[in-house]
Amino acid sequence: MRRGMDVGLGLLTGGCLLACLTIAGGLIWAIVSRGWGALSLSFFTEQIALVGAAGGILWNLVGTTILLVTAFLVCAPLAVALTLLERVWLKQKRVRHWLRIGLYTANGLPSIVFGLFGFLVFVQWCGWGKSWLAGGLVLAMSMLPTVTLVLIERMAAIPERYIIAATGLGLNEEQLVWAVLLRQSWGGLISGCLLGLARAAGETAPIMFTATIFAGATLPKAVVESPVLTLPYHIFILAQDSFAPGIGTKIWGAALVLLGLVFSMSLAALPSRLRLHEESHV
Amino acid sequence: MSDNTAQTNAVLEALQLDVRARGKGILQNVSMRVAAGQIFGIIGPSGAGKSTLLRCFNRLSELTSGIKVRGDVRLKGRSVYSAGTDVNALRARVGMLFQEPVVFPTDIRSNVLFGARRLRKLSKTDEADLAETSLRDVALWEEVRDRLAQPAGNLSLGQQQRLCLARTLAVQPEVLLMDEPTSSLDPRSTGAIEELMLQLKSRHSIVLVTHNLAQARRVSCVVACVSVRNGVGQIVEQGTSGALFGSPQSPELREYLKWDSQA
Amino acid sequence: MTRLLSWFLSTLALGGFALLLGVFVWQSAPIWQTEGTRYVTGSAWFYRQHQFGALSLVYGSIAVTAVSLLLAGPLGLGAAIFLSEYLPQRARLWLKIPIELLAGIPSVVFGLLGIALLRDWVYRVFTHFDPLSGDTLLTAGILLAVMILPTVVTLCDDALRSVPGRQRSAARSLGLTGAEVVWSVVLPQALRGIGAAGLLAVGRALGETVAVFLVIGRQDNNLPHPWFSLAPLLEAGQSLTTKLGGAETNIAFGDHLHWAAIMGLGLLLLVLTAGATALGTLGRTPHA
Repeated sequence: MRRGMDVGLGLLTGGCLLACLTIAGGLIWAIVSRGWGALSLSFFTEQIALVGAAGGILWNLVGTTILLVTAFLVCAPLAVALTLLERVWLKQKRVRHWLRIGLYTANGLPSIVFGLFGFLVFVQWCGWGKSWLAGGLVLAMSMLPTVTLVLIERMAAIPERYIIAATGLGLNEEQLVWAVLLRQSWGGLISGCLLGLARAAGETAPIMFTATIFAGATLPKAVVESPVLTLPYHIFILAQDSFAPGIGTKIWGAALVLLGLVFSMSLAALPSRLRLHEESHV
Repeated sequence: MSDNTAQTNAVLEALQLDVRARGKGILQNVSMRVAAGQIFGIIGPSGAGKSTLLRCFNRLSELTSGIKVRGDVRLKGRSVYSAGTDVNALRARVGMLFQEPVVFPTDIRSNVLFGARRLRKLSKTDEADLAETSLRDVALWEEVRDRLAQPAGNLSLGQQQRLCLARTLAVQPEVLLMDEPTSSLDPRSTGAIEELMLQLKSRHSIVLVTHNLAQARRVSCVVACVSVRNGVGQIVEQGTSGALFGSPQSPELREYLKWDSQA
Repeated sequence: MTRLLSWFLSTLALGGFALLLGVFVWQSAPIWQTEGTRYVTGSAWFYRQHQFGALSLVYGSIAVTAVSLLLAGPLGLGAAIFLSEYLPQRARLWLKIPIELLAGIPSVVFGLLGIALLRDWVYRVFTHFDPLSGDTLLTAGILLAVMILPTVVTLCDDALRSVPGRQRSAARSLGLTGAEVVWSVVLPQALRGIGAAGLLAVGRALGETVAVFLVIGRQDNNLPHPWFSLAPLLEAGQSLTTKLGGAETNIAFGDHLHWAAIMGLGLLLLVLTAGATALGTLGRTPHA
């Protein structure tokens, strides 16, 4: 009886794991098998035509890249500043604790909330209309908690002895920051940013009111009224129309490319992640 | 104890035990016999493989992945590694006490009965009797009889270790394995546990791994020294307690005893 | 200098988030003033007639989240138990990779998969309930379950592994079987972490927009008729996030009250997700 329960639990939970793995593998296979046929050189180098039924995704890739680069440039310094605040400048333990709780909470905020915020503040109040800068700023904001948390954990993992040795040599706090803390944890900044960017690359909700349109844009020339094309929004719009046979493979091709983009960024961050064992969908 | 009696009364024995972990040798050619009513001490430097050896006796070594055991261990003549062995039943027959007391986050009474409850159906009165008997056996009954429903974590470290012993005794094992059971306790609790060992040995054979040489001298009848030789742990010398401490023969043991000059 | 810069940039960042919260509170104020609690308890949302009752939206969010948790919870916990209690370290790490990959799939791609794979399936399998199409609350719930599955698995695995190995060894040495160790030693001590995992998954599910948008049907004012049966789940619905992600947001900006109502939905969403996430986080890390 006891033996039976033991075997039974093993089978039951093993079955659950098998189901999860099958779902994961099956979904990825579904995307790859449907989208593989659309991939070709022209797919990457042409722009869309016939409302997505023909052509490629060139400007969508360009637009997504512009948004991600902007987001990175805005987010990185802010993340470093917040991390240093939590690690070095703030002395009271309680305040630091609440800062971290706040970061975790902000990390879980729905991305549509950031989109609405950006719509109100940048598109309407600042009068920018749909703009790549608005999109970049909104994405930076949504990435910030993720990157900060990864960086905090990385900095906290710096062996005590480096800090003690540096302090013992007479370095003050500011010198400690540059000579030891930042130098040792810049890898964490990179992997945190990659993680945040991977998430941001796939986001539709923050950018659909603030930065992106479906067709008719190439490179933005200014800030105001300068939307871009993006990969996720492209897929989003096409998905809502019923499938015409022509569009079918192309939309999956776009999905596959987006997946590839997201996975390659996540993979680059994987070694650091596995080492630090970061969870909570960061 | 003559060699003859040891052979016929062997409760627990290891026969040419070889243990490897991830390709690296931990123990080699370990053979020893524990007779009934005996306390068998195992001494030796840290990292020599004493704890690993102990865990081979109740097959707890299997919980760590990558461990491969060759050779045999016999309980009352029957191999514990044979195909049909019920590992869980084995572990109830060969109980274990760990270096740090591990109490479960529940009340004292539930802790004592934790293992026993699952071995067989016990009525309320049976449970109460078993709890009392086990706690009396470890001289803890008078101290906790009024607070059996309180969390076991509230007890002092020494009391917790005695509780763990009571818990093990409640499943009525034939052999007790003790892995440095007093190393995290204060001298008074250590003395109490040693007292208990001497009282219990008539009913349960005990295998005791210890770093405390004075303790080994005080309680064990037979002693084996496990030390690293040729890069792998081996029994470098074994014999009666008097012989081993009085005139050590092997170079490793002599080296070990020189570092610890407790009389 | 660095210190000054850090404080300046941090204030900028924190100020941005404070502004975010403030904007939602301030912009939604008109709707709280005019409608008060009727905003949340009213079930009719007809924006042209300035009727703003968010109940069906809240119901939509809760229904979809509940379905996803009911499906992903036990499945994820079971998988986590197997990962943490039955597998050796190396296998664990390798098998977690597909799960991590699943977590990385973007929302819009999940939506696409939902359309391609789930929609027709739900329509066919549940014909008994006579659904109008494959876009239903149930479809959205199932899709969401797959999306939160990695979160549940990794966080439950964390919670289980935080129980010290000594506890398992001690229980095993008494002769308990593997299942008994899991049931009476590991799970009771991991309960808090598992609860936190559930809360964090709820937070994630509540906030999911695009994938749910594509398969929920986006039908306003649908409240369940028979309350405790499967039928209402097989109707199209609308949740807080799908309403916000729809066309109304752009339209609403011209109208003072309509915009306030939309921002009110955003505020509700903010409060619900922040609450779930904060509680879940506190459950995992109770002290500094």
